[in-house]
Amino acid sequence: MSIDELALILVRGLGQGAIYALIGMSFNIVVNSSGILNFANGTLMILAGVLAFLFLPATPGFVGWALVALAIVAFLFVFVLLQGVLTLFPLKSSVEQHSWLITTMAVSVIVSACIHLYGGSLAFRVPPLLPPVSVFGLSTPSAYFLLIGLAAFWFVMIGWFHKNTRAGLAMSAVAQDLDAGKAAGIPVRRIQLYAFGISGLVLGTTGFVGAPVINISAETGIGYLLSGFTALVIGGLGSNLGAVVGGSLVGVLSMFAAYRFGGIYQDTVTMGLLIAVLMFRPEGIFGLAASRKV
Amino acid sequence: MSQNSQLASADRSPVQGLRLPSMVWIGILAIAASILVPGALGNQYWSYTFTLVTLYIIVAVMQNMLVSEAGQMSFGQGAIFGIAAVTTAVMIGLHGQPFWFSAIGGLIAGLVLGGLFAAPALRVQGYYLGFVTLSAALVFPQLLIALDSITGGVNGVPAFVMSLSTPLYGTITPLSLLAILAMAAALIFHGILPHTVLGRRMIIVSNSPEAAQALGIHPGTIRSIAFLIAAFGTAVAGVLYVPLVGFVGPTAFRVDFSIFFFLAVIVGGQGKLLGPLIGVWLLYLVPNVLLADFSHYRLLIYGAVALVVMLAFPDGVVGTVSSFIAARRGGASKVAISLNDAFDHDGKDVQADDRAEPNGAVLISVQEARKSFGNAVALGGASLTVKEGTIHGLVGPNGSGKTSMLNTISGFMTLDSGTVKLFGRVVTGLAPWRRTRMGLGRTFQTPRIFDRLSIWENVQIGREGYGRGGDAGRSSKLEVFAAKWRDQDPSLLPHGQRRLLEILRVMESDAPLILLDEPAGGLSTEERTELSRLLVHFRDRLGKTILLVEHDLSMVWNVADEITVMETGTIAASGLPENIKSNPKVRALFTGGRDA
Amino acid sequence: MLEVKNLEAGYGKVPILRDINLIAPAGEVTLVLGPNGAGKSTLLRTLAGFNKPTVGTVMANGRNITGLAPEKMVANGLRLILDGHRVFPRLTVRENIRLGTRGDAAETEKHLKEIYEVFPILHEKLDHRASSLSGGQQQMLALAQAFVARPEILLVDEPSLGIAEMLIPTILDFLRRWTRLGTAVLLVEQRIDIALRYADSVYVLRGGEIILNGPAAELADGDAIERLYMDG
Repeated sequence: MSIDELALILVRGLGQGAIYALIGMSFNIVVNSSGILNFANGTLMILAGVLAFLFLPATPGFVGWALVALAIVAFLFVFVLLQGVLTLFPLKSSVEQHSWLITTMAVSVIVSACIHLYGGSLAFRVPPLLPPVSVFGLSTPSAYFLLIGLAAFWFVMIGWFHKNTRAGLAMSAVAQDLDAGKAAGIPVRRIQLYAFGISGLVLGTTGFVGAPVINISAETGIGYLLSGFTALVIGGLGSNLGAVVGGSLVGVLSMFAAYRFGGIYQDTVTMGLLIAVLMFRPEGIFGLAASRKV
Repeated sequence: MSQNSQLASADRSPVQGLRLPSMVWIGILAIAASILVPGALGNQYWSYTFTLVTLYIIVAVMQNMLVSEAGQMSFGQGAIFGIAAVTTAVMIGLHGQPFWFSAIGGLIAGLVLGGLFAAPALRVQGYYLGFVTLSAALVFPQLLIALDSITGGVNGVPAFVMSLSTPLYGTITPLSLLAILAMAAALIFHGILPHTVLGRRMIIVSNSPEAAQALGIHPGTIRSIAFLIAAFGTAVAGVLYVPLVGFVGPTAFRVDFSIFFFLAVIVGGQGKLLGPLIGVWLLYLVPNVLLADFSHYRLLIYGAVALVVMLAFPDGVVGTVSSFIAARRGGASKVAISLNDAFDHDGKDVQADDRAEPNGAVLISVQEARKSFGNAVALGGASLTVKEGTIHGLVGPNGSGKTSMLNTISGFMTLDSGTVKLFGRVVTGLAPWRRTRMGLGRTFQTPRIFDRLSIWENVQIGREGYGRGGDAGRSSKLEVFAAKWRDQDPSLLPHGQRRLLEILRVMESDAPLILLDEPAGGLSTEERTELSRLLVHFRDRLGKTILLVEHDLSMVWNVADEITVMETGTIAASGLPENIKSNPKVRALFTGGRDA
Repeated sequence: MLEVKNLEAGYGKVPILRDINLIAPAGEVTLVLGPNGAGKSTLLRTLAGFNKPTVGTVMANGRNITGLAPEKMVANGLRLILDGHRVFPRLTVRENIRLGTRGDAAETEKHLKEIYEVFPILHEKLDHRASSLSGGQQQMLALAQAFVARPEILLVDEPSLGIAEMLIPTILDFLRRWTRLGTAVLLVEQRIDIALRYADSVYVLRGGEIILNGPAAELADGDAIERLYMDG
């Protein structure tokens, strides 16, 4: 394998990995505050991509691009917030504390069914904002670099939010000690809803920024969901650093597999990775997971 | 069908008083009618549709067993169905093999994929397995297309089995009868399962993996067996799908096919025998048949119905209806088990001189146990020795390390350093369920009573759990109560009786060494007195050795032969009760440290 | 003032408390004693809204707060400090305290000054993670976090548990001082005589029931209570 090929796999792999890392982070925000894994994460990111396809004008100027971005991200924020209400509602009374598995899965099914009703099984193509960048003489879509930047942005932003805002502090507090958080007067349900909302922001920006390189169709959400989850299993559930490390690893490895054996084996490689890690290091390869009750 | 043979091998004791729930017969009759009535009338379309639906119901019954008895999430049953169908079709259609031979191939393929689900189940559970199975459901159709030289790729494989598709009467074919038979077998299996050793073990593992370990059960093995059984039943349905449809292509087995089965079980009512039947009929027939023009909205309807059901009727359709009927009938009366039942039915009372002379062998020996969690020291070099035939009290203030010591002995906590010996054998690092099988029994602070099992079954699982106790021939002191307790629901027992039930379970396990974790917690004064008598009876008449962790000091003074006092992870004092009681340091520990 | 009438509570099917009646007046330390497993922690957790009582009422300064969620309890001026010096380990001291503050910045500033005066070590370690503090320092931090919230009723669960002997008077002293602000303090302790010195009145809990109560002065020698503990 030549240096060029290696660079291609690395850059594209890291770009894809940034998507997985971002999905992983959106998992983390919610799981840390409520123990819920949102099975709709993949489809929701795809939804942002579909909205980008629908509302981006044919030749968007920067302003048009930014306005559409704002609208889509705001929509995702509200949508996932509402999903949070639906998900948390049955937990209040029901003895069935795993209802979230079903409600989040059902939302995923509904959203992808709606996308399917609109576009069938076809993929939606979204034009890139910036021209491709040349890496080692190979033209690389600019979206990969934007995605890497976005992952870095959210990694820093979420860290900042947890440290410097009251809601963020409360969110970390609830994640560390639920009872002590309640005793300190933290409104736990509201904090969990914020978490859903923020995960919507992460998913909305990811789907929009990544739209030119994301495979947007009714059926691809689950693939991204699994890659994001695999990234977390590798890096340690609950840790954003783990999401970034695990996401990069999954991205590069599956890109390598696609290059070597063909794109159709990408998900197979991810599944193999997931099973292998669960079999041999269920606590995550990097041991970044804090022991927590989920 | 073959499910029954699996059942028989799993169940070492005969199924006692086996009565099939009437729901099983209702289900079988309904399914048989749904296929045979249109078949007899010669309606090709309906007999075909209902046969297909019946195959789906088989898959859903297996899914229901996974969700409710084994407590495991699977979003990948469609892939197992698919791999069995594709393998069968490829062997018939591309290689010209006979149906029976191809069917065996299909079953094996289904079991292999089931094994892929079962392997991670040895290590992890719950939503992790949800993701693993979901990924299999995602990858399976992709692989069908990728491996087109083997599978026929996107074009699929046609496969006809004339012998099965030739009508016998009207449009009833041998295949219709096979489908009914397979369905009946699946439903009967699910009806019997909770009353077998295997079923009880599944219920225990899904409710409390710790309790399972304390009963000598390896949770991962049980989870894996559940996945394999589900894979087998699902593969049977997949194999029968081939002669019915006559063509197998990759588009039939996409992710949503797998998710469909999961949602059908939830909508129908998880854990309810008829849940899968109602769920599949509702989710499949309504959008596909009644709203044929709206088949595009099929997925949307699946999702929306599942969401609405989960929000409005979390117990599903069948669950909601049956709890409504139960509420109309009024509540059941309280039940009670008596302590006297447990040990006085031989008419004799315990005499002091009955007591066997303890030979002084050391059953528990913990040496210099150390364990810390970050900065917090749980055990700081604590040692403990318990001699055979004694009741050993372990006391100490909150956070002094009693529970850590208990978990060290039973294997739920691994030490940083130090050794643990049980029955003279070094067991440091041995898994809890293996220690149970050496003859160590325990109870928990919150009694682990399984409300899905009857009172008698809750006692019985003790006997089934402890390795050498599996022999059904061994007579139980409690056998005389079997008939009375067999149908009683433990959820109606008051708290003190639940504790007693757990203690009786340990007694039934025949384990010579018993750890009791705060058995008097939440008991009334009378119940405490009775408990004390029971413990003395265990020691003197049954020759048990007991390590008793208890807050109620007066009870410990009365029954213990020796007492060990713990303080901040170390041993503060150890010795005879009278010495411990007058030890000023010990008094200070419990009452306020004026001498400390 | 906290008033509890005919309270019964437990966990799920496990009944713990039976017919509890007690009053914790404003400006006083009311001490709840009892052996391990008597239901002391359950009592505090029930009062703070962690589990719902099956029977009985809880009144805070005349408001009926029975069965409210924990955060509503805090909004009603009732604050629980859990046992085992529970703070948020991966947050700094400053962040831990900040989670307690509410409303007026100038007020908060004043409270902070006061707390740093009593516990100067917290001021020194403001930017250290709470996990790096000793048990006693963590207990001070937990107190500080509750103090800046200015509750009218304070419930404290075994503040002496797991902290160095020499720090116990400092901490109980601080609770005593706190009552001068008009706060009702309900203190659960196992250490009889140390706690008795700081209390105005005492309730003794055993097997989930109150078996003895009276002014602290009358029970001051502690022997009667000790016998209740040890001999049943």
